[in-house]
This record gives sequence, C-alpha cells and structure tokens, in this order.
Amino acid sequence: MVIKAIDYMGAKLIDGCHALGRVALFTYQAVVIFFTHKINIRRVLYQMHYIGVSSVGIVFLVGITVGAVLALQSHTGLARFGSTQFIGPIVWISMVREFGPILTAIMVIGRAGSAMTAELGSMRITEQIDALQTLCVDPMNYLVVPRVIASTFIIPFLSMLCSWFGIGAGYITSVYILDINSEVYLEAIRANVELSDVTNGLVKALVFGFLFSVICTYKGFFTSGGAKGVGISTTQSVVYSNVTIFVADYILTSLMFT
Amino acid sequence: MIELTGLKKSFGPKAITKDLSLTINDGELLAVIGRSGEGKSVLLKQIIGLITPDAGTVIINGIDVTKLTVREKANVFKTCGYVFQFAALLDSLNVLENVGISMFEAGFSVDKVRPKVLEKITSVGLSEDVLDKYPDELSGGMKKRVGLARTLMQSPHILLYDEPTTGLDPITVRLIHELIKKTHDECHATSLVISHDIEIFKYATTVAMLHEGKIVYKGPASTIWECENPYVYQFIRGLPQGPIEQIGFK
Repeated sequence: MVIKAIDYMGAKLIDGCHALGRVALFTYQAVVIFFTHKINIRRVLYQMHYIGVSSVGIVFLVGITVGAVLALQSHTGLARFGSTQFIGPIVWISMVREFGPILTAIMVIGRAGSAMTAELGSMRITEQIDALQTLCVDPMNYLVVPRVIASTFIIPFLSMLCSWFGIGAGYITSVYILDINSEVYLEAIRANVELSDVTNGLVKALVFGFLFSVICTYKGFFTSGGAKGVGISTTQSVVYSNVTIFVADYILTSLMFT
Repeated sequence: MIELTGLKKSFGPKAITKDLSLTINDGELLAVIGRSGEGKSVLLKQIIGLITPDAGTVIINGIDVTKLTVREKANVFKTCGYVFQFAALLDSLNVLENVGISMFEAGFSVDKVRPKVLEKITSVGLSEDVLDKYPDELSGGMKKRVGLARTLMQSPHILLYDEPTTGLDPITVRLIHELIKKTHDECHATSLVISHDIEIFKYATTVAMLHEGKIVYKGPASTIWECENPYVYQFIRGLPQGPIEQIGFK
C-alpha cells in the first residue's frame, strides 16, 4: 500500500517535471523567435484588439464594482478609528498595486486565454497546425508568438484602465455616497501615493500577461484527444493560468513592495 | 525515391508500425490500403517527418528524414506535398489566403500571390469565385481540391494523400481520383495515396497493403483483382472471413 502510494506520487512528480521542462522549452522557443524572427505586426495588432479592446467592457465592470466595494469596506473599518480620510489612498494603492493587475489577468484568462487554448487545440486536432508545418510556415511564429506578445503588452494597459475605473468608482462612492470631502480625499491620495506603486503594478500586469499567454498557447498547441481533449486543455489552461498568476503575484509582491 | 527501412512506431504500449519496410520508386503512384486503425496516416506522417519513428530510416532522395532537425525538415516539406484527410484548411483564412499562405508569409503582396493561386485553383477544377470564400462555405469535395491546390503551390515532386476521398459521393470520388492522376502525370511526381476506395486501383500504378504494422503485399495495380495474397484477396472483396480479423467484432 505504502509502496504503491510512493510509486504513484513518484510517477506524478516525474510527469510534472517533464511537463515543466516542455513548458520551459516552449517558452524558450517563443522568446527566441521574438528576438530572431520577423514578427507579423498585423497579427499582433489583431490579437491585441481581440484580447485587449474586446475586454475593456468586462474590465470596466469589474474595476468599478471592486473600487466601489473597496471604498465601502474601507469606510466601515476606518470609521471605527476616525480615519475615513484614508479611504482614497487605500482604494488607490489597492487598485494600482493589486486588484488592477490581478483582476484584469483573471478576467482576460477567462475571456481570451480560454479562447486561445480552444482555438489552437481545435487547430491541432483538425491537423491545421501540421498543415502549417508542411507548408513551411512556422506554427510557433504564426500562432503562438503574436498571442504571447499581444497579451504581454496589452494587459498593463487593461490593468491601468481597471485601476482608473476602480479609483473613479471609489471616489464617486466616497464623495457622493459616503459624504467624504472631495478635497480631503484627493489630498490624502497626493500625500500617500508613490510613482513606484504604479510602475510596479504595471510590471506585475506585464508578467501576468506573459505567463497566462504562454500557458494557454502551450495547452492549446499540444492538445490531443479530439473534442474532449480540447475541453480538457481549455479547463486546464484556465486553472493553471490562475494558479500561476496567484503564485507569481505573491513572489512579485514580496520582491517589489516589501 | 522513397525508401522506408525497419520503421517502428509505438504510442504508449500500442505498436502501430512494426519493422515496416517499403520502397516507392520515382514516378510511381502507389495506393496504400488497409483496415481503419492500421496506422496508414501515421505511416504518411513518418514519411514526411511530422512524426518521428522510434526506429528505422526514411530516405527521401538520399536524405534520412528521421535524422533531420525541425529546421532541416523545411527542405523536405518543400519537395513533399501533403494533402490532409479533411483538407486542414485554416478556418480563419479565405481560400486565397489559405492557398497562398506560404507566399504571404514569405512577404509577397496580394498582386503577386493572387495570379499564382488562381492558376493552382483552376488546375484543380475550381473557379475564381471561391477565392474569397471561407472553408465553412465550401463543400467537402471543394475543400479537398483547395487542399490539393495549396499543396501544389510548393511545386512538390512527392505527393502524399491521406484518404483524399473519405466522406465524398461517388461522382466526386471519381473526380478527385482523376485529379490525383492528372496532377501526378503533370507534375511528374511520385505519389502515395492512402485510400479505402477500391476505385483507386484504376489510377494507381502499384498497390501496397498494410496489415498489423507491416507491408504484407506490394504489386501492380493492374493485376490486383487476380492477386492471391490472402490479405489482399479478403480486403478488396470485403470478405468477413479470412486472415484479417475485424477490430472490435467477434
């Protein structure tokens, strides 16, 4: 029984190491292509539009609700200490440092990341990726690299939008619902906020965009097992991407903000 | 010339290709027959280098494809055209973009690509109207023709067809077979056609039969109906009794 359990765990560990190695190799290939090959800008812009512009609506919705909730929750806590003037900095710092990047990444993973995996997975099982190879078109350069570039560089913009929407909603909630003086609110922000909050938040978003796009394209690119396989890959890509960005978030936060 | 020697390929515990050897001479139009699930498509993919065999060699014009790196395989793809079972057209591209994809990727403008694509599209019996259509607007037969036109853009000397007539009506099957023969003759190509359709014997020069991962017969197509090889005899007549066991049936 114990031997079987160890055997099982060992096999899983070896599989995990193999998978990590394959992802690392895949990432390496994508990075090498980015630096050594001609990149089709049109395809990158198309992906940026698909991943970025089409996600603005959902990012807006998430941003304003989280910003407003943050203001309400902060008010409840801070009112006990008579420090409601700090709602502004709390909303600002929370949105820019944390909620903007992570919520944007989560939303885009669900909307565009899953679509990336499903699209590439379908292309794999219908032999379209093989066809590209036989036509001397590098599938990595054609399919993967534009998606990774687009995700990496569009997520910071979306994150910034999400933060602004949240900060705006926080301001409206504080000033018009919680009746906090507008000047006090803005002055507290000016006094307590640093530029590094913004830049570090953007760095986080950049890393999240890169990580989830690599995972989602990898899972799609190596899909097997027909329609069921596409479903499994898509689910896995969303789960793995979310877990990875949460872990990355912790690491980045401890490196940049502590 | 294509020379396969001692080819072996397994997926997990299941051996698909077992010590397979086969020679395809220049100018030959070889039809490969065999039951479903015998690994005919896997064989084709091993020839072109999309699947690397576990053992054995695939020599195409003196070069061992199994030893090539991914980049070096590009040269194989330039001389070997592969027509996929369901055409494998890119859903997001129209016919012009699908057929001309390698030229577009090489940086050619539409003005340069369009006449070449039109020439290939016409040669497979399609009209200019299809150029702006997307794969989901085409019939099965049209997709196969577009797939062939796309392959012909590379001007290959070797053409590999993976079940080109599966799922088509008898008239379209005949037209596709005639197109394969015409392309073979005009391109002075070496062709390998995987098919379940016995009509292919009218067009092929030779027939090979794949059974349990090995070539159990190779001979001229013109005398296939007189062939006494028990596997071929049973297979081409569709007899339930014989040395070929039915997969999944008792």
